[in-house]
Amino acid sequence: MRLLEARELTHTYPGAVHALNRLNLYVERGRRLAILGANGSGKTTLLLHLNGTLRPHSGQVLLDGQATGYDSASLTAWRRRVGLVLQNADDQLFAATVAEDISFGPLNLGMSETDARQRVDFALSALHIHDLADRPTHMLSFGQKKRVAIAGLLAMQPEILLLDEPTAGLDHQGLEDLLVVLAELGSHHTTLVFTTHDVELAYRFADEIALFESGTTLAQGPTAQILSNSELLRAAGLEPPLLLKLGLRARELGLLSPDEPLPRTADAALALFSLLSLKKP
Amino acid sequence: MSQLDTVANTNRWRGKSLTEKSLLALGMLVIAVSVPSWQGALLVAILMTVATLLGARVPVRVWWQTMIAPVGFLLVGVISLALQVDAHLHVGLAPQGIELAGRLAARALAGVTCLLFLALTTPAAHLVSGMRRIGVPAEIAELALLIYRFLFLLTDTAESMHAAQAARLGHSTYRRHLRSLGLLIANLMPRAMSRAKALEVGLAARGWRGELRVLSPARGVSVAGVATILVIELLVIAFGLHTA
Repeated sequence: MRLLEARELTHTYPGAVHALNRLNLYVERGRRLAILGANGSGKTTLLLHLNGTLRPHSGQVLLDGQATGYDSASLTAWRRRVGLVLQNADDQLFAATVAEDISFGPLNLGMSETDARQRVDFALSALHIHDLADRPTHMLSFGQKKRVAIAGLLAMQPEILLLDEPTAGLDHQGLEDLLVVLAELGSHHTTLVFTTHDVELAYRFADEIALFESGTTLAQGPTAQILSNSELLRAAGLEPPLLLKLGLRARELGLLSPDEPLPRTADAALALFSLLSLKKP
Repeated sequence: MSQLDTVANTNRWRGKSLTEKSLLALGMLVIAVSVPSWQGALLVAILMTVATLLGARVPVRVWWQTMIAPVGFLLVGVISLALQVDAHLHVGLAPQGIELAGRLAARALAGVTCLLFLALTTPAAHLVSGMRRIGVPAEIAELALLIYRFLFLLTDTAESMHAAQAARLGHSTYRRHLRSLGLLIANLMPRAMSRAKALEVGLAARGWRGELRVLSPARGVSVAGVATILVIELLVIAFGLHTA
């Protein structure tokens, strides 16, 4: 079921560069889709189209197979279903404390104060940030702001969550924590779409990849299939992920049978290669 | 500025109800300006200082740094009250000048300690939600909130621009300093505008349609707290009347 689809989207910024050029993309319910591309390939512009912030110069966006409208009622209905988390959390947080900020979205949905309070609680626990509830938003660390920004959209319980470079600038622990949270969301029927230039992240986290170059999708398909095509990746200015290369090499060496899944974490890959020492006489 | 904000958000009385804190601060303020004796006003100043430093545990250093500017103004005003210049340009003490100056100083000092108590113990957010509750139009309360939020974004941006200029020796001489400062100010405006625009996109993604409504935290007013404050204020009034 194609929940959200972009058909032949074209968008040109003043200055005559095609930001999007006859772009096609689809989002399937319950899958994690990575929009993978180098810097400046048009990923953010695409996300802004997918929630109706920008209007394509030609082409259309479809929700459940229906072309979307751009009047305020349609936009409201659209954004209720499709949430967008901006790359810079400061562009999203405005209220004085975390809990207040998170309550903004639910109240905009027309919820009562009691219901909104429940949604805030839900979002705080989903992101594991109950301890931050009364903190002023400008006194948070970078990683904390990121989580609060995500919580603010999660409180609206959208069907699709669009995340623009969600891991950019996070340290190791911050990244690990965020991925755990996102995985939990994914298992609770939120469809995740995120942009990234990090092939390792895409390999580790995405079910599906849309490969992006100069404002258009070069290919869209299952993660391993796209990422093992090094020619295609090079065309997008990227390299296959190291883990995938290791996994494929392990298959060649017979450490992994062809029907076993490829390792998706460093630990899994290391465990495979420790078999090597056992094999040697 | 940001120091004041940090203290307001971390002091021991941060979570106390706004009603109680403003009853104390504003009640004492009214007493300070209306009680007939200057000793009464002085008592208010002492009590509010104790409340700020010992009650809310506001660091003395921060309190004094915020205090020093109004105290400076106060001193200048008081000195000019105490002195007079006669027809022969002789400077002397004004008749009853010292007494007058003392009275004024006591009252003004009391007023300052009351307002500082409120500013240093109450997060700005609570003040804004209080404004809303007493019927200040939503637009004004929202503006206050946004300005408050942007102040920090703007000072952060200005600080990092300043650091970047300094790293390239932009502030090494007075001349360069002036030039760099001009560039900084000129660039701050477009940056602030693009920040504001990005914020608009961010808010629109969360269903914003022109109204910034958030849940304000409910803080219970304790009867014991209000009663204590009222008793203290009555005692101060009694003291003020007695010493008149």
